[in-house]
Amino acid sequence: MLAALVGEIVNDYSNILMMFGFAIIATAPALLLSKMISPKRRNNPVKFLPMECGQVPKGEGRTHFMMQYYAYVLMFVVFDVMAIFLYSWGSTILNLERTATLPIIIFLGIMFAAMAFALYQSKRRNIW
Amino acid sequence: MSTIAPKFRLGYFIKSLLDNIFWIIILLTLIGIPAIQVALFFIDLPVIDGELLTPFLALTWLADPSRTLPIVKTLMQTDFFKIAVFPGFGFAALLAAGTIFIERKLLAKLQLRVGPFYCGKIEGILQLMGDGLKLISKEIIIPAKADKPIFWVAPLLFVGTAAAFIALIPVSPGWVIADLDVGLLAFFAIIGFFPIITVLSSWSANSKFPFIGGIRALHQMVSFEIPLILSLLGIVILTGSLNLSEIVESQYNFPWIIFMPIGAIVFFIAMLAELERIPFDLPEAESEIVAGWLTEFSGMMYGLVQLGSYLKLYAFAALFVVLFLGGWNGPMIIPQFPQEIITDGIELGPISVTIPGLPLFTPEMLNGTFWFTIKTVSVIFFILIPRGVFPRIRIDLLLHIGWYKLIGLAFVNIFISLSLLYAGVLGPGGMML
Repeated sequence: MLAALVGEIVNDYSNILMMFGFAIIATAPALLLSKMISPKRRNNPVKFLPMECGQVPKGEGRTHFMMQYYAYVLMFVVFDVMAIFLYSWGSTILNLERTATLPIIIFLGIMFAAMAFALYQSKRRNIW
Repeated sequence: MSTIAPKFRLGYFIKSLLDNIFWIIILLTLIGIPAIQVALFFIDLPVIDGELLTPFLALTWLADPSRTLPIVKTLMQTDFFKIAVFPGFGFAALLAAGTIFIERKLLAKLQLRVGPFYCGKIEGILQLMGDGLKLISKEIIIPAKADKPIFWVAPLLFVGTAAAFIALIPVSPGWVIADLDVGLLAFFAIIGFFPIITVLSSWSANSKFPFIGGIRALHQMVSFEIPLILSLLGIVILTGSLNLSEIVESQYNFPWIIFMPIGAIVFFIAMLAELERIPFDLPEAESEIVAGWLTEFSGMMYGLVQLGSYLKLYAFAALFVVLFLGGWNGPMIIPQFPQEIITDGIELGPISVTIPGLPLFTPEMLNGTFWFTIKTVSVIFFILIPRGVFPRIRIDLLLHIGWYKLIGLAFVNIFISLSLLYAGVLGPGGMML
């Protein structure tokens, strides 16, 4: 019984994986064909350098650079989870009592206040 | 020109063709057909219309349409047909190819150019085919220090993920590949993969421009994922379901965009950002960082990434239609088929062949597909227009729009839908059942 139920659920999700696999199987031959019919000649080391608009590349390709985004990445981790929590409430709200909305509104208020504070803090560049 | 032999003679060419045909016939008759016949012993063939499906009758199917039709109908109900042809890859790739052509012509008209013109007799309609042939015959150059396996796989993963996204879209009643109870959450899960693929490919390229583009794609996702998620919560509150087919059915009387225009606008803007289209095309800003994360892709790898991005465009436009514009709902314009066509069949040709059971699709399905396609194409049009109109946005303004304005608007949308629910306008007891 349980196995059949699990099987049914897995069947729905397996269609997504099959679609994923079908797209790869249908498009991978294009790469293979391209590999087979494309010309290969005049190999020299300059040809395989990374593209830097004609300059000879200096240094590592994988560099560190600051995007000033660190505060937002931290906020993203919190608020992404919050958004998904709200979905579990939103999808069942028709079956809940009306009084159950008030705690969620309070939760939203707390999160909103926290977000406003975090956004205010993220403007202070000197602490990051 | 390198792989075509320098001493080319037509006679040798014909001889090699004939050689190949000879060997194919020999191998097929000696090995292929016996192998198929042996394999058929071990395969359970389905029973269709009270008759066992025997491949040995393939020639009979060709001759007699009344025996072929049940087989075709059964084939159309299988998962493979859905994945490969109709709501799946074939349909999406067709619309994506059309989108590419329309986009080039439209942009050209907006910028007072001609656009693709010479390929094909009519207005360069074969341009896409020509571009495909060009890309497939170009050499693929990979930087020497790149992580080769990941770099090769990244375009394929991109296309595959875009296709997995398409699997969620209900095109017509019952015509959906994966009808999940949590379809909307699956959508959030799938779009989370795109920035990861972008960052993987840009990291593996080991070059500076792709790396900057990949980091930008990641940060764009950080800015726009939360408004995207929150803007759809209003629909879930009013529908009480995460299943995309049920969301479409709930819009039988009116589309949600009437009650939630703010949510629709927020979703549309976040959608443009997720698609990396022009006001938000920072990850591949061609005037700043050569081609962003696509810089090191060459030849067919670039073509596959483009195919994937247009499949993604179709999928997002279709999702907008499903969520806000009522999906397949629309006035019935396809007339009901006359009963005698279904039972007695159509009379064809001078020798009057009667073919019963001909309409392969129900009128509801045809009508749903028609309205869905019309709406999707118009949404795609509205996605394409900004490319000819807007400049690129600055990266700190992008952050500001995402975190300060769109999230606030998304919360406004949630409160609008809550108040509609509790005022009794919509939901149980209201206008909607």
